[in-house]
Amino acid sequence: MTIRMTQTIAGAALLASVLLSGGCKSTTVNTVENAQPTAKKEMVADKRLITDADLARKVYVVGVNEAKTPGGLIQIQIEVVNQTSSRQRFTYHVQWFDAAGMQLSSTTGAILPCVIEGKETRYLSAVAPHPACKDFRVQFIESSH
Amino acid sequence: MKKHLFPVALVALTSFVWSGCSSGGARRIDAGGRESVTTVGHVDIQDFVAAAEASVGKLLAAGALDKVPNPPAILAVSLVRNQTGQQFDTDLLTKKIRVKLNTSGKALTTTTVGLDGVAEDPLAKQLQGERELEEKKRAGVTPDFTLSGKIIETRARAGDVRQSTFSFQLSLTDKRGLAVWEGEEEITKQGKRPSVGF
Repeated sequence: MTIRMTQTIAGAALLASVLLSGGCKSTTVNTVENAQPTAKKEMVADKRLITDADLARKVYVVGVNEAKTPGGLIQIQIEVVNQTSSRQRFTYHVQWFDAAGMQLSSTTGAILPCVIEGKETRYLSAVAPHPACKDFRVQFIESSH
Repeated sequence: MKKHLFPVALVALTSFVWSGCSSGGARRIDAGGRESVTTVGHVDIQDFVAAAEASVGKLLAAGALDKVPNPPAILAVSLVRNQTGQQFDTDLLTKKIRVKLNTSGKALTTTTVGLDGVAEDPLAKQLQGERELEEKKRAGVTPDFTLSGKIIETRARAGDVRQSTFSFQLSLTDKRGLAVWEGEEEITKQGKRPSVGF
């Protein structure tokens, strides 16, 4: 009876995993670019706190490029790469802090969705909402849809 | 009894998978947050939030508002047409943009200059007129830029799958009547039914 029960549960689990993965077709991206880029990126030294290791493994943050807008606001561009061969969905949220470490404009910060194809690299851009913004933090959360 | 075990386990597992962590009871959620309902045929609140965020980011990055002799730039909101089949107030988009631009310190929006002479704030316009009469001069604020735009919907369907694309088109026009910045954000949603989350 124990063997039959184990087989039943295993069968149900297999069926569920097939159901779950049924909609995810493997789509990867091929790219081409100039071999010697002229642009010089100002990559910032970053600190990472990983609580969802699965998402961090699938959607890897390569780095953050920082620049200034013509008006003097900080502009960041986060380079993320999908290390899997299947499409991934996640949301991200950029928080900004002033020189005193106080979070700015928390009520207007948007949680933005992103879809990234297999092996694709994407750049997520954000502009500081105020000239007083000095630091930033970006949150990534896996999305189910 | 044993033969009923498989369907029971399957139903239990399926319901667990579908239900996730949500419950049917009403509760407060973050406006435009991850728990918001996403529909296919309507502009959802998170779509307005995303379109405003992206538009303002690109406008600030372009530096168009910085090219005024006396910063911050004065902005008047012109007509933003809703060309979708859905009824909503376009202030859901423009107000978010205004708040963000105001916060950035790069632009101030006038509430006394409006389309066809209709001020958003009639009292402010009246007081401004009285002040100008007392001072016997026309010192009214003239906007450096006007913001206009459209929200357009494009629908498609393949069997049960429905798809909607909402295009948020914006133009920033200067005193010469030239569009010094143009932005377009497209949000495409596809599915058979509404769902919770992005």
